[in-house]
Amino acid sequence: MSTDLETIGMLRDSAARYADDNYSFHQRWSVLARPEGYSPQAWSDLAEFGFLALRLPEDDGGLDGDAVAVGAIMEIVGARLLMEPVLASAVVATGLLLKLGSASQKAALLPRLADGSLILAFADEDEAGNACVFDGSRLIGGKLGVLHGDVAGELLVSARDTAGAPVVLRVGADAAGVSRRGYRLVDGRGAARFSFDGAPAELLQPESGLSAAAALAETRDEAAVALCAESLGIVRKLVEITTDYLKVRKQFGRVIGSNQALQHRMVDCLLLQEEIRALTAAAQQALAGPAAERTRIVSGARAYVVHAARKVCNEAVQMHGGLGVTDELDVSHYFRRLMVNAALFGNRDVHFTRFTDAALAR
Amino acid sequence: MSPAPLSELRARADSLRQAVRDFHATVMPVDLRDKSHRHQVLSKDDYVRWMRLLDQQGWSVAHWPEEYGGKGWSPLERFAFEDELARLGCPWVIPFGVKYVGPVIYAFGSDAQKQRFLPGIKTTEEFWAQGYSEPGAGSDLAGLRTTAIRDGDHYVVNGQKVWTTYAQWADWLFCLVRTDKDDKPQSGISFLLIDMKSPGVKVVPIRTMDGYAHVNEVWLEDVKVPAENLIGEEGKGWTYAKFLLKNERTAGAIVGWAWHVLDRLKRHARESVVNGLPLIEQPLLRHRLGEFELRFLALELAAYQAVEAMCDGSESGSEASLIKIRGTELYQEVMETLVEALGAAGVACDVEALHSAGLPPLGPDDAGGILKDHFYNRAATIFGGSSEIQRNIVAKVVLGL
Ligand SMILES: Cc1cc2nc3c(=O)[nH]c(=O)nc-3n(C[C@H](O)[C@H](O)[C@H](O)COP(=O)(O)OP(=O)(O)OC[C@H]3O[C@@H](n4cnc5c(N)ncnc54)[C@H](O)[C@@H]3O)c2cc1C
Repeated sequence: MSTDLETIGMLRDSAARYADDNYSFHQRWSVLARPEGYSPQAWSDLAEFGFLALRLPEDDGGLDGDAVAVGAIMEIVGARLLMEPVLASAVVATGLLLKLGSASQKAALLPRLADGSLILAFADEDEAGNACVFDGSRLIGGKLGVLHGDVAGELLVSARDTAGAPVVLRVGADAAGVSRRGYRLVDGRGAARFSFDGAPAELLQPESGLSAAAALAETRDEAAVALCAESLGIVRKLVEITTDYLKVRKQFGRVIGSNQALQHRMVDCLLLQEEIRALTAAAQQALAGPAAERTRIVSGARAYVVHAARKVCNEAVQMHGGLGVTDELDVSHYFRRLMVNAALFGNRDVHFTRFTDAALAR
Repeated sequence: MSPAPLSELRARADSLRQAVRDFHATVMPVDLRDKSHRHQVLSKDDYVRWMRLLDQQGWSVAHWPEEYGGKGWSPLERFAFEDELARLGCPWVIPFGVKYVGPVIYAFGSDAQKQRFLPGIKTTEEFWAQGYSEPGAGSDLAGLRTTAIRDGDHYVVNGQKVWTTYAQWADWLFCLVRTDKDDKPQSGISFLLIDMKSPGVKVVPIRTMDGYAHVNEVWLEDVKVPAENLIGEEGKGWTYAKFLLKNERTAGAIVGWAWHVLDRLKRHARESVVNGLPLIEQPLLRHRLGEFELRFLALELAAYQAVEAMCDGSESGSEASLIKIRGTELYQEVMETLVEALGAAGVACDVEALHSAGLPPLGPDDAGGILKDHFYNRAATIFGGSSEIQRNIVAKVVLGL
């Protein structure tokens, strides 16, 4: 089932309008200065607009939005460098809960996710040598790089049970036996590392019987696709900003954009943008398709987009000269955001390897 | 004096490398060594201490002629010296005094200027900054607009410089100014030495993406500069500036820095285990490492070829550009790969904290320093003649296109 185009258009417009009015690069400075690494005001605004209920079923007051709908929002998140936990909580963790939560777990959490009173983070990356293990009631192990883990109220934690099977657990971020170390990422957002020392944990067990392994695979793919959309938003902005700059910055008595050396490279950036757009759209469609094809397209898209977006951003910095490396200019903030995004939910090499295996198995 | 044969220069360069390694192992203060190994930001005091230490070894101006306190190092020795320091991960040899303005002063300055300034440059008694770039004059330096109007025994300087590295620490600014507005862009330019304590000089920091302000705007408002601070002749500044740019673009440390980062990447790849396999055994990273090694080999050999050509005068003029273009691009790519290979630790730093001594929240102790360098060196293909401008120059001057 897919979200209708009209709804998506509406989402896109209202998110863009919200960002225009409330989240200019200038207004964002005050968000960067906040200790939470995001704006609680913006977060509740986003809830009010219904963006946090984007993925919820209509019966729960949501829009039942598919990957295209999520992408529409994520593009804006990227273009305007929103700092709020839209990706971590409203897209990724909410998605996992929808797949794997029991009816009562969903009933407990979904309303609080929709109104923004709960930030739910997905803790997936094991600390090396300290993988998470669940003994039926308690959790031990460590997790790293949990996006917005510093402000999360609850966590969904991937782990293995004593038989070695994947499980997903609901853990209170401040529960006994949980120690959390929050820190800032280079792009200003918050994250945390966790260690669990016999922390009380509740197994996510859906009535549907879907396995945790399958739900985790789908969730990681959804994260990858949402990140592609965020990158598309960023790249479009970078292409636009840089093209504009080439038309106004003068050196040697003419605009720098009149140099073919730069023109050709700017065209390459535009080509990369279009490839990113096409791959992102294909990956959004593939999420609902058969597993093998999903892996091939989603991981292919993610691997390509990480690399392509970085390339465009490096060009944007370079063509802005000294200005490109200043904190004052948004270009350097896109640079830092892309660095962080490249390290989230499975890096380029992981996806490239999956892509290659899937492509060669055809 | 005829130049020494290449074999002898090579032998001298090799023993200089050994001396630098010994210095690093035994003379360099432990705190400075630790700071630079963790790529931590250095204070002005650290840098001054570092530059004086080099002076005490007789190295700070060894590339100058003997009559000015140097040792007349050949380009090969100079390269070996900077390259070895960089490979060892030592602090930057701040170039503004010893590499940039010093040679301009001994080549074109008056006797009085030589006596006044060269000793303080050699010992870093006085700290220098380079006032070339302006908001409207970056790549096109000759488009500069800062004016210096002669008024009796002094000039009155008005204008704005930008991107001035360490202006916040500088005692002196060597500055390109326009003394004649009507002339061709290049011929109206003069080279002035400006005391940073002069009334009318204002320094405004510019924050870069690593959260620090290495660079500044320098505003000059009715600054009175004694006429005796003019280098050489009025209107000949462009010639001196070009002489200086040639020094700026000598091979320098970039090859050694690239080596240092590649070495760090290999160490990380050997030490980290992902899913039971050391990173260095992971096919994709291994392949990338192989490519970096190969590109580095080409760069290193080309650098030697270039520096040796500078020794016997057979250079074509493209050598320094080749090394800067290739060196900075390789350096940036290896750095990017290192940051990526650090994974969660490679993005886990508050940029505000990159300049404190605190340990990063994740990963190895030097993760924060690596990030700081990654951010700073994103500018390496922009400053000192951008990669585009280097290519333009080679196309025009060497290829005649
Ligand atoms: C960290 C840092 C430290 C610096 N330190 C100093 C310092 O101490 N003193 C000092 O004087 N300056 C310093 N600079 C300034 C530096 O030299 C300039 O940034 C550089 O010359 C580029 O000028 P610009 O920034 O105005 O870019 P622009 O000249 O505006 O260039 C913008 C882009 O256009 C490209 N471009 C321009 N013209 C052409 C052309 N004809 N063909 C093709 N491409 C072209 C450039 O390569 C660049 O990619 C520093 C800069 C940085 C970033």
